[in-house]
Amino acid sequence: MRNTLAATAASIVAFITSSTAMAGKDLDAIKARGALNCGVGIGTAGFMLADSQGKWRGLSVDVCRAVAAAIFGDAEKVKYAPLTSQQRFTAVQSGEVDIVMGNATWTLTRDTALGLDFTGVYYYDGQSFLVPKTLGVKSARELGGATVCVAPGTTTELNLADYFRANKMTFKPVVIEKVDEIRAAFFAGRCDVYTTDASSLAATRAANVPPPRTFDDFVILPEIISKEPLGPVVRHGDSQFADIVRWALYAMVEAEEHGITSKNVDEMLKSDNPAIKRILGVTPGMGKALGIDERWVYNIVKQVGNYGESFDRNVGKDSPLKIDRGLNRLWSQGGLQYSPPFR
Amino acid sequence: MHKTLGVSLGLAVLLASGGAMAGKDLDAIKAKGHVVCGVPTGTAGFALADSQGKWVGLDVDVCRAVSAAIFGDSEKVKYVPLTAQQRFTALQSGEVDMLSNNTTWTLTRDTALGFDFGAVTYYDGQAFMVSKKLGVKSAKELNGATICVQPGTTTELNLADYFRANKMTFKPVVIEKVEEVRAAFFSGRCDVYTNDSSALYSTRVANVPAGQSPDDYIVLPEIISKEPLAPVMRHGDNQFVDIVRWTQYAMIEAEEYGITSKNVDEMLKSENPAIKRMLGVTPGMGKALGVDEKWAYNIVKLVGNYGESFDRHVGKDSILKIDRGLNRLWSQGGLQYAPPIR
Repeated sequence: MRNTLAATAASIVAFITSSTAMAGKDLDAIKARGALNCGVGIGTAGFMLADSQGKWRGLSVDVCRAVAAAIFGDAEKVKYAPLTSQQRFTAVQSGEVDIVMGNATWTLTRDTALGLDFTGVYYYDGQSFLVPKTLGVKSARELGGATVCVAPGTTTELNLADYFRANKMTFKPVVIEKVDEIRAAFFAGRCDVYTTDASSLAATRAANVPPPRTFDDFVILPEIISKEPLGPVVRHGDSQFADIVRWALYAMVEAEEHGITSKNVDEMLKSDNPAIKRILGVTPGMGKALGIDERWVYNIVKQVGNYGESFDRNVGKDSPLKIDRGLNRLWSQGGLQYSPPFR
Repeated sequence: MHKTLGVSLGLAVLLASGGAMAGKDLDAIKAKGHVVCGVPTGTAGFALADSQGKWVGLDVDVCRAVSAAIFGDSEKVKYVPLTAQQRFTALQSGEVDMLSNNTTWTLTRDTALGFDFGAVTYYDGQAFMVSKKLGVKSAKELNGATICVQPGTTTELNLADYFRANKMTFKPVVIEKVEEVRAAFFSGRCDVYTNDSSALYSTRVANVPAGQSPDDYIVLPEIISKEPLAPVMRHGDNQFVDIVRWTQYAMIEAEEYGITSKNVDEMLKSENPAIKRMLGVTPGMGKALGVDEKWAYNIVKLVGNYGESFDRHVGKDSILKIDRGLNRLWSQGGLQYAPPIR
């Protein structure tokens, strides 16, 4: 138990908030426009993809929807701008979009010299291994002597060599530049193993297995051997908006931890648990601190769902990708997803 | 593998130099020649002045590491001991540049107070201490226990929630003053004392009555609440916030790559591209942060990696002997995870 902030702090707060010229300028523009401009990737199954009606769906898309639900009480007040990897940071720096949800890895350089902030991690990605079930392997530790398909000149290739060296195993690399050709080589049996980020392996397994073999003939091994934390990106200069984006994602994680779902959120409004009352705005305070409606988390969970619901629907067990929660489990269940407390 | 930054770098330089607020706190720190760091008034293992007046502890090492990153010298720090009541005012008024003060990162503090939190330096949370004689190894075995707790705190609420969620009952012994709660526990008025894990470990070594030893008590492994402790900075200077954030990440990343204060000079010869980047053998990271390319080298050489600092102050080489637990690296079952330094 730690002491909560004293009365002295509260009075200074009001002063600081009103005197900081930069606070809220992006948020004000978003409110005036009536929509959040959300930069997404060109199209990655499960993360961001426009369906046949042109409606964007995916885990990354849900974070933009959650931010819109927090600001407007309406998850659909989002304008999506598809951006390539080359365009995405320029677009957020220039103000063309308010936020980038383009599956960008949070790295030091991007977090500092680019004048951007990463506000959390919505998906802990990292390099893994795809093998045919017929190989009879359950762990990457059993891959000694394997032939491995990999793209050249990438961190993927370096991580591969490091991992095998660290585990005192050897491998034969099959180095191929183009992603379609690597996949073809792997499915043709030219290599035992295909290595790249786990999310890409899951997409390959869902979309590229040539018949007559199916999804179920391949398995992604449980080891994640590198760090590719994917986070929302905003520009420096409006701490209030950055805070809303940060805490919108945390709200989804915290809702899952407290068992609040899109289905039971109305019942949860009657909960006696003080933490749940604070989260859902029954006890006011959190919305005021962020400068938005006290029902912001209620709106996020009601309209978008908690983190686990979004994960399962878009990339997890209820999706074609069937990605294991793995590192993206809650901290209380062996994963890394952890929200600071709502108080 | 994700694409690294491309064309956008040009614009980035423009933005960084054009942002009026960038670097103002950092400039002031450089002009003063030291970082002013708000620390607890005295918490064993985290921040305590020794008999020579030298501050030591896990929180103190965060200040030292920031100093090493900015000045290449971990001792350019002025410590200001602050109570929980004083600390936020001191930061807002500019009396200190940062807090490394066992402060829990919460929504209200992160938003309405006009603060930013750096990376989590210690995942604390509520736990249970019992006498070894009780013969209990897990909190799940505490059904029916008598539990000492302070009234009107989140601690009391978490306790009730945890027992209800695990379909167990307990008898609360509610006592206001911390000294009296401890005395009641050590005299056997209750089977269990519940508080934040770090406080329990500290009580175990510092407050055990004569005739008993810390080894007669154990802290059970379950952590039932979230108290993530992190450094705190004011809004307004993103560059300084970034330096504090990545300083902590550098300590974690160094541990992950096996770089220690003892082997860091040898590691300068490593062929691993990640290690070369981190230690500044391949330049770029220092420039991105606006500090010397040897910033991470200096941190590890002068302060150590995260595991070294943890073990020395609160872990196995300290009197507290706190288990790494949630503070293990992500690759070893914990939550300590640094985004890649590239």
